[in-house]
Amino acid sequence: MLQTDLHSYVQLFAFGLVAGLTGLCAIATVVTQNIVRSATWLLFTLAGTSGIFFLLGADFVGAIQLLIYVGGTMVLVVFGVMLTAQGPFIHMKTNGAEWAISIAAGILLFSVLSVGLGSEYLARATGARGVSKDEDTKDSHHAATIGQALSGAPYGPERKNDNNAGTHYLLPFEIVSVHLLVVLIGAAYLARAKRRKEEIT
Amino acid sequence: MSDEVHLYPYLVLGALLFTCGVVCMATKRNAIGILIGVELVLNGANINFVAFSKYNAVFQVEGMIFALFVIVLAAGEAAVALAIVLNFYNNHATVDVDGADELKG
Amino acid sequence: MFETVRNQPGLLFVIATLLPLGSFALLLAWGALRWGLRPYAKNGSLVDNVYQCLGGPVPGPGPAYVATAAIGLAFLCSFIGFGVFLSEVGEMHRLEHHLHELHLEHAKPHGHKAEPEAKKDEKEDAKQAKLVKKEPERNLQGEYNILRHHWLGSTTWAQVVSTKTKDAERGSILTVGFKIDMLAAVMFVMVTFIATLIHLFSIGYMSDELKKTVEDHEVHTPHGHYERRGRFGRFFMFLSLFCFSMLNLLLADNLFQIFVSWELVGICSFLLVGFYFERTSASNAANKAFITNRVGDAGFIIGLMILWTYCGTFNFEELFAQIRCPKADADGEIVLEEKIKANDKIQIRKTNLSNKIVRCDPGENTEYGWRQTNLAKDGKAVLLFPRDQSGHFHGPHQTEYLFDHPGAKQYGHMPYWLLVVAGLGIFLGCVGKSAQFPLQVWLPDAMEGPTPVSALIHAATMVAAGVYLVGRSYPLFTPEVLLTISYVGAITLFVAATIAVVMTDIKKVLAYSTVSQLGYMMLGLGIGGWTAGLLHLLTHAFFKALLFLGSGSVIYGCHHQQDMRKMGGLFPKMKITALAMLMGVLAISGIPLFSGWYSKDEILAGAFGFAMVNKQHFLLFLLPLATAGITTFYMFRMWFMTFMGKPRDEHVYEHAHESPWQMTVPLILLAILSVTVAWPKPDEHGWPLFDAQQSWLAHQLHHYSQPKTIEVEDVEDAHGHPIPLDVDFVKENQAALAHHAGVGYLALGVVAIGLIFALALYLYGWLDPAEAKEQFPGVHRFLLHKWYFDELYSAAIVRPGMVIAHWCRNFDTYAIDGFVNLLGRWNLNASYWSGKFDRGIIDGFVNVLADASYAVGNGLRNVQTGYLRSYVLFLALSAVALTVLLYAWVAALGG
Repeated sequence: MLQTDLHSYVQLFAFGLVAGLTGLCAIATVVTQNIVRSATWLLFTLAGTSGIFFLLGADFVGAIQLLIYVGGTMVLVVFGVMLTAQGPFIHMKTNGAEWAISIAAGILLFSVLSVGLGSEYLARATGARGVSKDEDTKDSHHAATIGQALSGAPYGPERKNDNNAGTHYLLPFEIVSVHLLVVLIGAAYLARAKRRKEEIT
Repeated sequence: MSDEVHLYPYLVLGALLFTCGVVCMATKRNAIGILIGVELVLNGANINFVAFSKYNAVFQVEGMIFALFVIVLAAGEAAVALAIVLNFYNNHATVDVDGADELKG
Repeated sequence: MFETVRNQPGLLFVIATLLPLGSFALLLAWGALRWGLRPYAKNGSLVDNVYQCLGGPVPGPGPAYVATAAIGLAFLCSFIGFGVFLSEVGEMHRLEHHLHELHLEHAKPHGHKAEPEAKKDEKEDAKQAKLVKKEPERNLQGEYNILRHHWLGSTTWAQVVSTKTKDAERGSILTVGFKIDMLAAVMFVMVTFIATLIHLFSIGYMSDELKKTVEDHEVHTPHGHYERRGRFGRFFMFLSLFCFSMLNLLLADNLFQIFVSWELVGICSFLLVGFYFERTSASNAANKAFITNRVGDAGFIIGLMILWTYCGTFNFEELFAQIRCPKADADGEIVLEEKIKANDKIQIRKTNLSNKIVRCDPGENTEYGWRQTNLAKDGKAVLLFPRDQSGHFHGPHQTEYLFDHPGAKQYGHMPYWLLVVAGLGIFLGCVGKSAQFPLQVWLPDAMEGPTPVSALIHAATMVAAGVYLVGRSYPLFTPEVLLTISYVGAITLFVAATIAVVMTDIKKVLAYSTVSQLGYMMLGLGIGGWTAGLLHLLTHAFFKALLFLGSGSVIYGCHHQQDMRKMGGLFPKMKITALAMLMGVLAISGIPLFSGWYSKDEILAGAFGFAMVNKQHFLLFLLPLATAGITTFYMFRMWFMTFMGKPRDEHVYEHAHESPWQMTVPLILLAILSVTVAWPKPDEHGWPLFDAQQSWLAHQLHHYSQPKTIEVEDVEDAHGHPIPLDVDFVKENQAALAHHAGVGYLALGVVAIGLIFALALYLYGWLDPAEAKEQFPGVHRFLLHKWYFDELYSAAIVRPGMVIAHWCRNFDTYAIDGFVNLLGRWNLNASYWSGKFDRGIIDGFVNVLADASYAVGNGLRNVQTGYLRSYVLFLALSAVALTVLLYAWVAALGG
């Protein structure tokens, strides 16, 4: 019991810490006027998010988050920042009224979401409250499970006899792969559009 | 169990990230800033997915699978968006999205 | 063709009819060609050559030769036809008689001949036996049919299929045909002969029209007298058409053909009276003649419709067969036996129905479609006999079975009063055409036409058509109608004669004398003197044509001076004309040996007979008797004023001259015929010139043509033949025959008085006409104004008509137009408000919608800022709003 309590407290603390940092970083991302800084705060936010994933026991997703997001996507963003980071564009100020409106809208949205998430209705609809199981939380989801799911192999104890489970995510996985490929090609193509235009003209 | 971290705080965090993303998109005039906002929104969603996978047995694997998809899509989206930004920059010599008001009614 | 005519000599008359039609068509085509080519005829061109060949601007007397040749040939045909007819009519008549008697002979064994007639039967039997023995092998009926076929013929030219009648032929066929009997044949010869002479006369009289331009002295324009092109060809074209119409009228075997010709005659009269249509008086006179005739024709057509409705045919023979009882049936002569209760005894009254109108009282309709009917003397209906009386025909019995619409072999009936109306209607047509009271007003005005026209149309032929039609349809007339005819004739003859006394225009005198003489004819027909009336028609045609042509000659010689007060003493200058006219004057006055004497004496005798039997109608004798004297007076007055005494106008006298031969030859011929046309035929007893009853022409008409006759054995002529008497007027006819001579002397006395007055006033000057005028100023004025007939009609008909027309016009202008205008104004107002409503409310509504859409669009336009960031904001806010709404909704649902 004690152990459980300790585990809980550590977990609570860790969650509070990581979540607070992530939230602060996100707010900082928004608030800062410098695009470079903003990108940097984003980096931290993303990293914080991966921390959250780890806390939730989704190690694989957290790793992927770190790898792709923090490693890949952020590089792209920074790339973009650097490519366009000329004097005036670093500090493009938004006027106060816009800020006020945006923040008001943000607060509204946030409050609606928070209130809504906490409501009985949504809880019932998602079955969120009181369904967590200690056994499950202890089991972290490893790459093997996810890989099994994606490749169509049976996974998990209660799904072993499920004949239909085999083909669950193979096709979407493949589609996403192709999608990525297309995106990469498209991005490359778009990026070199200017040179083509010059050729034409 | 009362002091255990429940689903709700995760969702609030997701909502916070989502809201920050939206506000970011609404306030940043830089195209890259908007891209950053989009990433924030996606991260907020991802937190939700993963949190549901943890606290709801039904979404045990699916939540994470969706989170993975989102990450991948975000990467792709970032690539395309960056390409668009670069193109926009090439055409308008600026990354100020307020200059892109061709859709004005 | 020659063979055809030999087989059916009646076709000679058809040819005679068609010749003037051909002439008309030829002249019409000729004139139309000249008229059409005239504008294009330029010198030397081909068209000009053709134009010149057709006569050029001055066509010469060619048309006159064509028309005269045509009518001359027609006269020749008629004359030959008349000769053939005369040679056959006796035989035909004899055969008919024998057939009739044979029929009675055969019928006797089965018949119910009454006892008292047995004696006569013996006599007849002897005759019959002789006849049958003498000609045992001959097919009498066949021979008779062949002879009849010579003079009858018709073809169908229109047929309508009737759905109502049981008899397929009834009321469905119109035919054209010819029927030649003595009357038609004689009339043909008379009309063609007079027309030929008048054509000849016209060549001289109308020679003025040969010029390229004719100056009409009676039409004044601002530039002097009116000048026009000569109308020589047109005149003869009209004459030809007129002759055709008149001859077709004589030829017809049915009423409809007569009606068509009747109207053609009317239109020719209109065209010829209005020949100088530039003169107002002439065009008015033409209109007056035409419109007055329309009144009569309305009656005529009513009569036609009644007869067509009930008899279903217009053919004369079929009509007569239906209306008049046949002479005999399968049982012999048709005798009706009635039981009469008199003095408590039942007696049997026998009536011979032969040729009579049989009246009956139709009973109630039975379920079999016929009614049981009792014959009665004063029945409400007229029995219509079967048209097909061949075979075993039974005459009417005391009780007859009738159908409303008789078939060819059935009895039928028609209301008696309708038969009277039909007769009056037909007679009204004759009143118009023959210028009888009260429609006599048009004839004197019609003297506006050229004088030959006056002679041809208004003396000899056209006005004769009315009398001819009365004679033709005589069996259709009931006693009431005949009495009406008599009175109309009597009134006409007296009124017209009195007016003629004061007229000073030579042609007007003749016009009124014509009206008066036509009255004599009508009177003669009305009192049962069929022969007398028609004989007078024939004789009058000759002497009136003579008088008119004579007056034409005088007028021509005096340079179109018609006023007798400016003539006088012309005898030395125009001897032929004067003597010829004297013949006419004597004839019309009824001087013995002249043709008028034979006819007028017979009429007067008939009138006397009628007045003897029907004492209440004594006026019917007194009026014509007095008028005989008046006639003599005014005719001699005219002759004396024109030819005797001293010239009253030196200018006229100086220029007077005798007319050319084209005009005098017809006068001489007509003068001879005026004297001799009614003369008796010399026979073994001598030449009975002084017996007014022995006129050969009258005998021909009387024996061979008079309809609905009966032969009464105790009245015989000089040769011992029974004289046919009118069945409706047996007693009257007998009285007339008995008193003929006495009446003749009486008439001569009256004529002598008239002659003495004329001599005293106008030749010897014992009395001054001016003094007579002053003595009776009222009477003179009354007569001078023609008994105020024109004024009366003007006041009674024309002016009320005008007033009603004005009312109608005002009604149209104010009521109908007003109503229409009001409607129009209402419509305008309604349209105005409707427009307002459309523009204001409907358009307004649509516009408001459109404006609202535009405003909304315009407003929403501002929302589309084009700024990415604002879109994001909208998205966020929308999400918030939707979520809030969702919650609100769920909360509301969840309660």
